[in-house]
Amino acid sequence: MSTPSADAPLLTLENVSKSFGPVRVIDDVTVHVRRGHVQVLLGENGAGKSTLIKMMSGIYQPDGGRILVDGGPVVLDGVRAAESHGIATIHQELNLVPTMSVAENVLMGRLPSRAGLLDKRAMRTTARRALDRIGLDVDVDQPVGELGVARQQLVEIAKALSLDARMLILDEPTAALTHGEIDALFGVVEDLRADGVGMVFISHHLEEIARIGDDVSVLRDGSLVAEVPASTDEDELVRHMVGRDIADHHPRRREYTGPDEVLLDVQHLSRHGVVDDISFQVRAGEVLGIAGLVGAGRTELLRAVAGADPYDAGTVTVRGGALPAKDVGSAIAAGVGHVPEDRKSQGLVLGASVNENIGYATLRSTARLGLVDRPGQRRRAQDVADRLRIRMRDIDQTARDLSGGNQQKIVFARWVLAGSQVLLLDEPTRGVDVGARVEIYEFINAITADGGAVVMVSSDLPEVLGMSDRILVMSGGHVAGELEGEDATEDRVMALAVRDVDRDAEDHSEGTSA
Amino acid sequence: MSTPTTSTPSPTPASRLRTGAGTFLANNGALVGLVALCLALFIATPNFLTGPNLLNIGIQASTIAVLAFGMTFVIVAGGIDLSVGSVAALSAMASAWVYSAAGLPGGLSLLAGLATGAALGAISGIAIAFGRLPSFIATLAMLSVARGLTLVLSDGRPIATSPAVSFLGGTLFGIPVPILVLAVAGLVAAFILNRTVVGRSMYAVGGNAEAARLSGIPVKRVLVTVFALAGVYAALAGMLLAGRLNSAQPQAAAGYELDAIAAVVIGGASLAGGVGRVSGTLVGALILAVIRNGLNLLNVSSFWQQVVIGLVIAVAVGIDVLRRKNTRH
Amino acid sequence: MKFSTRGRLTTAVTISLALVATTAACGRDGDDPQGGDAAGQSVTLSLSTLNNPFFVDVRDGAQAAADELGVDLEVVDAQNDSTTQANQIANAVTGGADGVVINPVDSDAAGAAVQPALATDLPVVGVDRAVEGADITSLVSSDNVAGGRQAAEALAAAIGEEGTVIVLQGVAGTSASRDRGQGFADGIAEFGDIEVVATQTANFDRAQALDVATNLLQSHPDTVGIFAENDEMALGALQALGDRAGDDVMVVGFDGTDDGLAAVEAGTLVATIAQQPTELGRQAVEVMSRVLAGEAVDAEIPVPVQTVTTENVGDFLQ
Repeated sequence: MSTPSADAPLLTLENVSKSFGPVRVIDDVTVHVRRGHVQVLLGENGAGKSTLIKMMSGIYQPDGGRILVDGGPVVLDGVRAAESHGIATIHQELNLVPTMSVAENVLMGRLPSRAGLLDKRAMRTTARRALDRIGLDVDVDQPVGELGVARQQLVEIAKALSLDARMLILDEPTAALTHGEIDALFGVVEDLRADGVGMVFISHHLEEIARIGDDVSVLRDGSLVAEVPASTDEDELVRHMVGRDIADHHPRRREYTGPDEVLLDVQHLSRHGVVDDISFQVRAGEVLGIAGLVGAGRTELLRAVAGADPYDAGTVTVRGGALPAKDVGSAIAAGVGHVPEDRKSQGLVLGASVNENIGYATLRSTARLGLVDRPGQRRRAQDVADRLRIRMRDIDQTARDLSGGNQQKIVFARWVLAGSQVLLLDEPTRGVDVGARVEIYEFINAITADGGAVVMVSSDLPEVLGMSDRILVMSGGHVAGELEGEDATEDRVMALAVRDVDRDAEDHSEGTSA
Repeated sequence: MSTPTTSTPSPTPASRLRTGAGTFLANNGALVGLVALCLALFIATPNFLTGPNLLNIGIQASTIAVLAFGMTFVIVAGGIDLSVGSVAALSAMASAWVYSAAGLPGGLSLLAGLATGAALGAISGIAIAFGRLPSFIATLAMLSVARGLTLVLSDGRPIATSPAVSFLGGTLFGIPVPILVLAVAGLVAAFILNRTVVGRSMYAVGGNAEAARLSGIPVKRVLVTVFALAGVYAALAGMLLAGRLNSAQPQAAAGYELDAIAAVVIGGASLAGGVGRVSGTLVGALILAVIRNGLNLLNVSSFWQQVVIGLVIAVAVGIDVLRRKNTRH
Repeated sequence: MKFSTRGRLTTAVTISLALVATTAACGRDGDDPQGGDAAGQSVTLSLSTLNNPFFVDVRDGAQAAADELGVDLEVVDAQNDSTTQANQIANAVTGGADGVVINPVDSDAAGAAVQPALATDLPVVGVDRAVEGADITSLVSSDNVAGGRQAAEALAAAIGEEGTVIVLQGVAGTSASRDRGQGFADGIAEFGDIEVVATQTANFDRAQALDVATNLLQSHPDTVGIFAENDEMALGALQALGDRAGDDVMVVGFDGTDDGLAAVEAGTLVATIAQQPTELGRQAVEVMSRVLAGEAVDAEIPVPVQTVTTENVGDFLQ
């Protein structure tokens, strides 16, 4: 095995295993993290990536095997211990206090003081230096909460580096970022790589792996199934991950043969400062993609149509019937189903069971005299869960314990149960692994084949291009253009999404994005 | 994400067993505590485990338990109600007042009390749901207003209750009525929470109000219903207390809201909302009553009683927190 | 809530008016030397609580006396909170009161609370409970220790000077509970065949007394007598006893409230030690008016405490 030497890896997990009770979640896995290398961990949710990261950052201790730092065995019995070896983790849920300033966040827990008083000047200088290292140009006195997610993430990276981190663990850092932001992040990663920082990178976006990674460790069911270079073909990576071939990543099929009918008709919808005079129609059997930058008003548009938010002007019509504004109940009754942007804070009651979560939209409509139809509800929920292949222990398992893809399927199941014909999907595959993602796409196909209509907001361009029959590009709260499926390319979508922002900036000399 | 998801999920018998035991403990932790407490008292004093004393405990637990049943709705829905003690006093006083001052028949006086509680609760609920006040603040205001109105209505003196209300303090077929009321109120509360649309909606609203709203649950209507129900239960508790004394007292049930909250939390509910069961609340209320009864039987100094009760609440909830942590994986 | 411009204006005007009124009141004080008639003078009565019929009676007696004497009586309720009481007295002083009658929430805290009044040479009369650590003009009170002793004698007589007795205490740490408990303990000690087997608090509260008495009777089934440090608790104990009250178990209360006297008349309560709350209130205001008229008064004015039994209860019922 590895012997201490000058070019020993920064960190090695050597034949580590981990069990929770009788369940073995990591089985004899070896991973190296080298200086100036980006080691990619790839695997579906539940494959063991999180557990490995937690071993590296000192949260879990391995039951078997050992951990080496610079070739020498160590015990990482806590986050502090890992940090003392220069290992820092950037979690998906950022560890920042939104109400405190950038400088305070960077120096959290070790604020400089003089005579017991906060030394603000030293704090600003130190923070400034940390931010400069990654070229992040923000006001150090600004509250972190006012920054976008991407910049918050960079603040966290600056914080880690100012703690003398030699190794960064980046847990799905691109999940909530736009294209431009991802480019900026990868620029920082390149710089750090040149500086000799070792990195562990986790992402569900395969195309990112070739761009940024050096080597890939592929995990399946807690075991290491392959170690391949990052330049490996995407299809081969997927085959390693899921243990089978997934021929088409975006298997859009139009199979609807019924009468041509407008299901959803939105006319002149406006909400001051958010969406501006938006009109579009969606027909039976059709998927309308909505692309645009974050802040272009896509989510706000979807929420207004779903009745979640109010609007100032315009109409929303479903199957010819007008919907009242800001009335979720009426929208649901008319057959509208809304899969919100953030399933954890908006889609699910995490502490409630799968059964309960599936049944919320139909609680009232299936009740008799105000009493819940419990056996019927349970039977129907079980049926839908089986159909959508939600992987769970049983239907009474709490939603919190399921993986991202399965949680997302619960929200879909709710609308299947409600018989929704018009589905409004907001980032439907964010944080969802490849296998479940394809299942969600097949579900979209099934809904439209049955004559349903789907509106899909997504920041994942290949997904929008691959799954949409038509694409509406939004910018600065209004429609910048519409592209038919065949005409749509990444370049044309981005050109529309960006061009309009520039024009607005010239017109109003102040930003209009929400 | 500590357990791997395989393409064909098949939990091992061992994991099923483990979760089974975990679930039992998670649902019955407070019950284990109650049994332990009873055993300790049984050993410490021969007067504890006697039929009459157990009936006493049931009677003495009834007021707090009924208040706490109402509080369970509120806490499950993610709120808090500080006004239940005052609402209990005002409802009982209103019931006594319509009987003795306005001359309404006894049965109607009972309904008048319940209606008072429902109205007061609904007002708090409207302030919370539509006025967007935090429930802590809205009910703190109601605590003061209702207590003040009780004094105004009574001029600071007790008022005799109607026979219907006094009956609540008596016995029926040899069984103390407070215990019957306790049982019926508990069954009704459990039924509402488990079987009705509004009850299940309370869990959703308390677990994640935004997700509930986006699923078409009328969150505001649910909140008003929750506080109105808490008001009705407070009124029932108030009249129960008044019935046992044959008079509505202006200072009745002062501070009881904290006992009710303690009972609900000891019973395993989460102050964060979305979690809580009527059976747990009942056990919580019984624990408080058993402690008070036991301390009396043991003739513990009144100075120390307060210390002991405080410690028991802290320990009960502390154990619960630890238990939840351990049953996570 | 948002203040409109008009709202702010109104507030400003109100505050200005209040200031003017206060200044005028102070001016009037200056013009009106001590001595002469008490009529038209303003006196603040700070009660510990109006949440208890006893103090409602104190207020009624004080109000009646004030009406007779033409004193302008302002009654404030401290809601059993010493801080509130201190604030109320400070407000009364700045508000131009000519004298302060205080019924302390807590005797020790009241010493500090009356300092603003004493500092401006306003007369201060205590009622019912002593004001410790301050040299007040006069104290109108019943003798709680003597009352406790009388209660012991009444209870001893009722149970034939032998047997097991339990005590229901008031709010732990209050002077009333201390003094009555002390008097009772001293008094009962003289009867060698009486044993006090349990002393538990029920916080002067009827509902709590019902529970506590029930529990104590459970552990001491041979109990023949109960002393409750106020009538509210005595009534709770009667409720716990049901039919046994006045036959098997004798209960003695304290205060002589309406409900307590009614229970004595009904024969369920053996005796109550009648303080005379109305009389306390009346005398407090009378003493104050004499002080304001320039007369000298005694530092301590005892209001009789009487043992009320079936024989003399008629004298006390209105």
